[in-house]
Amino acid sequence: MSVQSARRWGLVAQFPAPLKARFARNKLAVAGLVVVALFFLFCFLGPVLYSTDQVHTDLTQVNLHPSGSHWLGTDAVGHDEVGRLMYGGKVSLLVGLAAGVLATVIGTLWGAVAGYAGGWIDAVMMRVVDAGIAIPALFILLVVSAITTPGVTGLIVILGLVSWLVPSRLVRAETLTLKSRDYVLTLRAIGGSHSRAITRHILPNSVSTIVVAATFQVADAILLVAYVSYLGLGVQPPSTDWGGMLSAGLTAAYSGRWWLIVPPGLAIILVVCAFNAVGDGLRDAFDVKGRG
Amino acid sequence: MSPVRSRLLAGASLTTASLLLAGCSGSSGTSSSGSHDSIDYALPANFTPNWILPIGTAAHLNTNNISIANALWEPLVAYDGSTGSMGWNKKGSVATAADFAADNKSVTITLGDRHWSDGKPVTSADVKFWFDLIKANKSQWAGYNPGKAPDNWTAFKTVDARHFTITFDKAYNPQWMLANELSSITPLPQHVWDKAGDAKQDWTYLNNAAKNISGYASNALWKTVSGPYTVKSFSTAGKVVLAANSKYDGGEKPGIPTVNLLPFTTADAEKNALRSGSVDYGYIEATDLDQKDSFTAQGYTVKPWSGWAITYMPYNFNNPAMGAVFKQLYARQAVQRSIDQSSLAKVIFNGTAVPGYGPIPQAQSSSFLSATQKSDPYPFSTSAAKSLLSGHGWSEEGGVMTCTSPGTGASQCGEGVAKGTKFEMQVLSQSGSTVTDNMMSAIQSSLAKTGIKFSIKTAPVNSVLSQTPQCTASQSICKWQLSFFGTAGSWYFSAFPTGDSLFQTKGGANFGNYSNTDVDKLISASTTSSSTQEIQEYSAALAKDLPVIWLPEPDYQISVVKNGLGGFSQDPLANFHPAQWKWTS
Repeated sequence: MSVQSARRWGLVAQFPAPLKARFARNKLAVAGLVVVALFFLFCFLGPVLYSTDQVHTDLTQVNLHPSGSHWLGTDAVGHDEVGRLMYGGKVSLLVGLAAGVLATVIGTLWGAVAGYAGGWIDAVMMRVVDAGIAIPALFILLVVSAITTPGVTGLIVILGLVSWLVPSRLVRAETLTLKSRDYVLTLRAIGGSHSRAITRHILPNSVSTIVVAATFQVADAILLVAYVSYLGLGVQPPSTDWGGMLSAGLTAAYSGRWWLIVPPGLAIILVVCAFNAVGDGLRDAFDVKGRG
Repeated sequence: MSPVRSRLLAGASLTTASLLLAGCSGSSGTSSSGSHDSIDYALPANFTPNWILPIGTAAHLNTNNISIANALWEPLVAYDGSTGSMGWNKKGSVATAADFAADNKSVTITLGDRHWSDGKPVTSADVKFWFDLIKANKSQWAGYNPGKAPDNWTAFKTVDARHFTITFDKAYNPQWMLANELSSITPLPQHVWDKAGDAKQDWTYLNNAAKNISGYASNALWKTVSGPYTVKSFSTAGKVVLAANSKYDGGEKPGIPTVNLLPFTTADAEKNALRSGSVDYGYIEATDLDQKDSFTAQGYTVKPWSGWAITYMPYNFNNPAMGAVFKQLYARQAVQRSIDQSSLAKVIFNGTAVPGYGPIPQAQSSSFLSATQKSDPYPFSTSAAKSLLSGHGWSEEGGVMTCTSPGTGASQCGEGVAKGTKFEMQVLSQSGSTVTDNMMSAIQSSLAKTGIKFSIKTAPVNSVLSQTPQCTASQSICKWQLSFFGTAGSWYFSAFPTGDSLFQTKGGANFGNYSNTDVDKLISASTTSSSTQEIQEYSAALAKDLPVIWLPEPDYQISVVKNGLGGFSQDPLANFHPAQWKWTS
C-alpha cells in the first residue's frame, strides 16, 4: 500500500510532513511525548501486569519499606504504593485530560462566537472572560469544594468550568483575523450562514492554536487536581489521585517514609513538565504567533 | 515570567517542597525561654481565644475559653480530673463543702474564706449574682438544656455571707448534681459587675464588654478576679499572657508567674514550633507518634492526654432509604461486628485510642462502666456479621447484601425493609484529618467484606454538624444516613456521663432520633438515684442496643511536654489548669 492510499484510508495521521518533522526536531518535546505515553501505559496497562488490591485496606501491612513484594512499600492503610500510583495516576490523568479538553471546547466556542460576532456581543462576552480571569481559579475551587464533595465527574466539570477563559481569548484573537479572510467573506456573499462560517472555516483554521492551548490546559488541569487534592478536597477514598497521595504522605515527612511522598511528587512534576514540553513543541511546529 | 515557566516553577516547587520535607529530620534542640518564670503553652490549631466572661454563650463556647476564664474566676465547685481522678478538686474551688439534705432535694454550700483581688470578700451575694444572671437569661447561656439547670433549681436562699441553699424541683443524685450542674456556677464580683441592679441589663452590659477583646487587659471590669491569674495581655490574634494574681488566697497557688498561651493556625505550624524549641507544652498528631524519639532527644516527654469522651457514628433512624434497616437490631449488630476496633486503635491511631463499646468513656476506669460494655458484647467477626444478615433474609448479590426475604418473621429482613433493598449506606465524615480518612477507609474495607457497601463523603466539621441534624423522614435534609464528627472524640461529657442529651428520646444531641423507652427510664433514673447501679444498667443497655456505631476513642491530644515541667495531671475534661504547672528542675 502506497503512502497516498494509506493516507486516503486514514492509516497515516493527517499531520503535514513539515510540521511533523519540525516537532520531531524538538528533542524536549519528543521526550515529553514519550514520558506522557509511558505514564499512560503505567497507569492504564500497569494494573494488568502488576495487580494489587486498591479497594480493601490491610492493617497488617501498613507502612512497609520498599521490598521485593512491595517495590515502593505500602501506605498507612496497607495499600501497595506502586499500585496506588497507578490507581491515583488514572484519576489524575483522566481528570486532567477530560478537564483540559472540556475547557478547550468551551473556550473555543466562546472565543469563536465572540470574535466572529464582534460589536457589543464581543464586548459583553469578553468582559465576562475578564471578570472570570480576575478571580483566582484556586479560590473558586476551594469554595466549590467546601460546598460539595466532588467525584471524578464533578472534578472534571468544575475544573473545566474554571479553565476555559484563556483558550477563549486565544481563539477570539485568531477568529478576528480569520473572519476577514477572502474565503469567509465569499461564503457570506453567496449566502452561507454564520454557523457554517465558524464551523467549516474559522475553527478548522484555528486548529493549531486550539491544539497547543489544549496541551497546556491538560497540564494546568493536572496541576489543579493536585492542588485541590493536596488540600484534602479532591476525590474521596478509596479513590485517590497523585495530589491526594502527596497530601496523605506528607504526615510521614519526618518519619523517613519517603516512598509516600517522592513518587507521587515526581509523577506530578514529570507529567506536567512533559505536557508543557509537548505543548511547546507543537507551538513551535505550528509556528504560532507569540512564541516565546 | 512566561506562563510555561510559571507552571514549571510551580510544579518544581511542589516537588522540591515534598522532597525537602521527606529528607528533613533534624532539630535544633534549643529550649523555649530558658527561664523558669514563664511557660509557653500551645493552644489547639486554628483556635483563637475570644471570650473572657466565665459564662459561655453559644457563639463563644470552647473548652479553651473556659480554661482561661477559670484561671481568672475560680469555679464554685471544680469537678474535674485535674487531680488524677475524676472528682471534686477542693483546692481549685471556692466552695469547701456541699451538704445535701437527707431527701436530696436541696444542697447547702459553704464558701471558703476567700477574697477578690481588690480585697473584698467572696460572699453568697457573688453566687446569687451568677444565679440571677443565668435564671434571667437562660436561653442565651450555652450550658442550658430545658428541664435541667437552672430550670430544676427552684430557689436560692442566702443563709449568711458564706452559706447558701439551693432547692431542687425533685430529688437528685448528689454526685450528678455536683458534677454536672453545681460545677457550672462561678462566683462573680457582684460589687463590680452589678452595674444596673437588674439581671437582664447586667447580662447585656457584661456581654457587650466581653465582645471587646482588645480591652481585656485594660478594662477595669476584668481586673477583679478570684483565680490564680490575671490577664496581662490578650491579643485579638490569639496570644494571651496571664500573670500570677499576687492577692490570690485559694488552694492552687500559681507555680509559674507568667503563662503564655500561643495560638497556631495549623497543627504543622505548632509542630514546627515544637521542633524549634519555642513551645514548652505542645502537641503532635497520632500519625507523628513514630517521631517520639526525636522529641525525646530534644528534651521533651510525649504524654498522651485521654479525654472523658466517647466516639461514635450516629445512624439516622428516620432516613427514608435506610432508616428501616437501621431500626433492625440484627443489622446494627452486623455492622458493629464488621468493625475491628482493636486493629483500628492499634494501627490507625498508633495506639493513641482505646476501643469503645458503649456510652461510657473507656479510656479511664470508672464506677459508671458496666461489665457488659467493658467485655465488648459484639466482638469483631466478619463471618458472624455475614451470618446475622444471611439469617435474616439477606443474600449477597454482586458483592452487596440484598434483602431477598422481606417480612417480620424471625428469619426475615424485618418491618419496613422492602424486597431488593441493598445494604448500602453513606457517611458524611469530618474532613481534614489523615487519621480519620484512614479509619474510614479501613471501615469501608471491612464492611465490604460483610457485603455492606459503605461510601464516604467528607466535609468540614461544621458542615457535617449542619448537614446531619435531627429530622423527620419527609424533610429533604433527612437524606443523611451516617454522620462522623469525632476526629478528637465525638462527645465530651461533664464529670458524670449521663446520656440525656445524646440518647434520650428527643435529646438535644440525639442527632439520629434514637428512641428506646427502657433506655429513657434508665437515663432518668441515673440522674435521680444516688447509686451507680442505674448508670451501669444504662451502660449495658446501650452497649447491647447499639444506638450508634461505637468506634475507638482517640486521645484528646498527644501532648509533648518539656522535661522539668510537672506537678499536674492532664484533665480528661479537656481543660488546662495553668496554676498546677510547675518547673520541677
